[in-house]
Amino acid sequence: MSGSSGRTTVISQTVARIAVPIILVTAIALLFRGHNLPGGGFIGAVLAVAAFALVYVIFGLEFIQREILGISPDGSEQHRLVESYRWMASLGLAIAVGSSLAPLAFDFPFLTQGVLFLEHLPIYGELEVASAFAFDIGVFFAVVGGLLTIVAEVGNE
Amino acid sequence: MQPTPEVVLAVVFLPFLAAAFTPAVYRLLGERTAYFAAAVALVTLGLVTDQYLAGAHGTVSFDWIPSLGISLAFYVDGLALLIAFLASGVGVLILTYSGGYMHGEPGQAKYYATLLAFMGSMLGVALAGDLVALFVFWELTSLSSFILIGHYTGEEASQYAARKSMLITVSGGLFMLVGFVLLVWASGQTAAIEGTTYSIPLLIEHADAIREVLTASALLVPVLVLVGLGAATKSAQVPFHVWLPNAMEAPTPVSAFLHSATMVKAGVYLVGRFRPLFLPEEAAVLGDWTLVFAVLGLLTMTVAAILAVSATDIKELLAYSTASHLGLIIGAFGFANTYGAEAGAFHILNHASFKAALFLVAGIIAHEAGTRQIEKLGGLRKHLPITAVIAVVASLSMAGFPPFNGFYSKELLFEATYYAAEEMGGVAWVFPAVAVFGSIFTFLYSIKFASLFFGDEPDGLGHVHRPPVAMLVPPAILGALVLAISAAPNFFINALIGEVYGSVVPGEAHSFSVHFPTELTPYVIMSIITIAVGAIAFPFYDRIHDAINAILRGPVRANWWYDNFVEGLTTTSVAVTPKIQTGLLRTYAAWGFLGFVALALGGYAAAGVSMPAFDGLSVSIPIVLVLLVALVGAFAVDVAPSHVAGVLTLSIVGFMVAIFYILADAPDLALTQLVVETLVLVIFLLVLDRLPAFYGDAPDRLVSLRDGVLSVAVGATVFFTVLLSTDASPDPLLKEFFVARAGVPAEHGPFFTDFGGGSNIVNVILVDFRGFDTMGEISVVVMASLAILTLIRMRGRGEAQ
Repeated sequence: MSGSSGRTTVISQTVARIAVPIILVTAIALLFRGHNLPGGGFIGAVLAVAAFALVYVIFGLEFIQREILGISPDGSEQHRLVESYRWMASLGLAIAVGSSLAPLAFDFPFLTQGVLFLEHLPIYGELEVASAFAFDIGVFFAVVGGLLTIVAEVGNE
Repeated sequence: MQPTPEVVLAVVFLPFLAAAFTPAVYRLLGERTAYFAAAVALVTLGLVTDQYLAGAHGTVSFDWIPSLGISLAFYVDGLALLIAFLASGVGVLILTYSGGYMHGEPGQAKYYATLLAFMGSMLGVALAGDLVALFVFWELTSLSSFILIGHYTGEEASQYAARKSMLITVSGGLFMLVGFVLLVWASGQTAAIEGTTYSIPLLIEHADAIREVLTASALLVPVLVLVGLGAATKSAQVPFHVWLPNAMEAPTPVSAFLHSATMVKAGVYLVGRFRPLFLPEEAAVLGDWTLVFAVLGLLTMTVAAILAVSATDIKELLAYSTASHLGLIIGAFGFANTYGAEAGAFHILNHASFKAALFLVAGIIAHEAGTRQIEKLGGLRKHLPITAVIAVVASLSMAGFPPFNGFYSKELLFEATYYAAEEMGGVAWVFPAVAVFGSIFTFLYSIKFASLFFGDEPDGLGHVHRPPVAMLVPPAILGALVLAISAAPNFFINALIGEVYGSVVPGEAHSFSVHFPTELTPYVIMSIITIAVGAIAFPFYDRIHDAINAILRGPVRANWWYDNFVEGLTTTSVAVTPKIQTGLLRTYAAWGFLGFVALALGGYAAAGVSMPAFDGLSVSIPIVLVLLVALVGAFAVDVAPSHVAGVLTLSIVGFMVAIFYILADAPDLALTQLVVETLVLVIFLLVLDRLPAFYGDAPDRLVSLRDGVLSVAVGATVFFTVLLSTDASPDPLLKEFFVARAGVPAEHGPFFTDFGGGSNIVNVILVDFRGFDTMGEISVVVMASLAILTLIRMRGRGEAQ
């Protein structure tokens, strides 16, 4: 995809500059509000990947490396990027599995999810903390990492 | 007394634990690891003895999968203790012997670790009180024996033997599993047992009720045969005896341990264990059980004895004789009268004692004389005097020569066949006749084995070394055991076999005793005939040997069937593979879809589902409009002139489905659909400009027709699946459960776990109620990305090579 940056128009590049941050913020918002409103880890993750994919299509792979990550365009560096995606996927899987194993330490069965209400907090007053959210974050990272690995690797072809 | 839970657990898992440490121990001790392993076996033997002395009898149970009623239960009784004694006691001797035998052999750490793991698995089989636990340990013995038989990994013969034994014993175990599942099903059908049970003692306790259910649904004989297949494959019964002679590729201690004293005994154990379940107290003389097992056992006893006479290799001879003696035990267990149970129970011990001794003797011969060919051996007495004494004692016992212990159990078998025949009359007289006929061959090969130590030395025999002490003591102990049992059979019966006998007969158990015959009874005459005919025939041994080998050609041999079957499978798959895996995505997809359609529709046909009643369409106008647009989009995909147009029109379908979800009040689904659709579109666009403009020429008409038919079939299958799956709604409705449980309860403390605590039910289901599903799915995503990564990277590497 390295040659495609020359073929995209200024309009699409400008739109992407504005749209991508919004998409990313929306993705994270979806992740956070998933427990009570439409959203969740999976949707958030897919949306985030869509934002990255948009960057890939419009600016090309090199752009992300050169401008965002500051890596010189070189075959081995490309691998390093995919490597970090892979790490992200593993991290997500580890968070999900870890949060599922945690209840075992408190004598609950594997994958038990609990809800904790924190009261009398400053500013917030009462806050609901669901352990399922940790699991959701795991889902988010696993899916983002997994899909980005695929997109980057396939797009690189 | 109840067995001590800790001790029983230690018996089973100590060998596994030791196996895990064996590689580390090997680095420290080197070849002396044998004595470490023997010490572990000795400790295990001590623990078994402890339970025996405490008079343990009963079940200890640990939770395993409580939601399915499966537990890690151990049942201790006479039969379990006897097999456990054999596994750990013979284990001590074998591991000590290995210290001498395996000197300088490769892969010792693996060897000892696997032997210990095998011993643990065998102890697990012996003590298992739960069908699932029994099955798991059962297959573990197959796996560890696979590794042990294939010990010399580089040799073709080892590989063949290991594959063969694995293929036969593991597939037999799978048949047995089906039998177990049917038993569990039957336990659920009786009023006597609450719910279903996997517990073996509980099943046996309610044997009458289980049998009633099985008989009523005509499943008694199928279950018998299924469980019997497990026993027959493991115990190398005809026609599954073919793996045992090949298994002799294993180092001799392994043969002695697995193929005479323990693993092959698992099948015998299984028959003994389930005998009280299938055999009513007042069984008919020729009931289902007897028909299956007495026939199988006596047939094996005779056929394997004849094959043993045809053997040219001492280990092959012993292998066939093992199959023959296991046949004797299974045949004995087959008879409904008390003599059958007595013969089977007593012969387990007798066979283990003399056959393990003989295998170890064979190992000494092979090791010190350098050959296992019968024709090249003779006059070994001068070089191996102590070994000769052991061999003669054990051989005479194997031959059933009075007053050795093998004689007593063979007498009991003769009694069992004789009384069965007397009671039934007619065709049942075949039983005693076959028993005598088979025993004549047993006598022949036993004497042949002993005769290796006498007569003249053949020319080719070089210098025969003295065996090291570590190799001489274990067979000597076993030989002494043979003598001890022969001298005081009733002592061993009272101490051990009485209990075993109690385990294999239904109802009130009592002990029994044997006596040296002092008068001329019919079965004494049977023994006299056996020995007399054997003695007359022995001078013609070589001619009989040649005659049998002349007959055993082609389809007469069970091996011919095995080899052709495996060969046929290989050629079939070689022929089929290029048709399915052409390297064209189109072919893969076609076969995949075809498989999916065939399986789904076949499943519906088999389950006999009927179409749900059609009660008119009740969809609103907006939905109809959206679906119509989707339909137009679907047609547009077919006629799209280019990839880009195709992808764009496909997206129309996707977005219409998303709108449909919105109209159907499923915002979560709609959101997911929208986002995924967008992502797919972007990814397609990323890839598209790398693809050729179109698939070259239009495919020929036949291919188009085939693809068209297939796609219609796939569409119809999906259509039916949706109709059928939405028609069935559980009661109470699943959705009510989720609606009630997903949110925050009205009354709640600061912390709770049984409610989801979120108002987005879809997400609560995903991360809480069905969290395990989600974890599986994200694992799949990660796996898929890794797979793509490796595929693309590996492809490059492949081209470079």
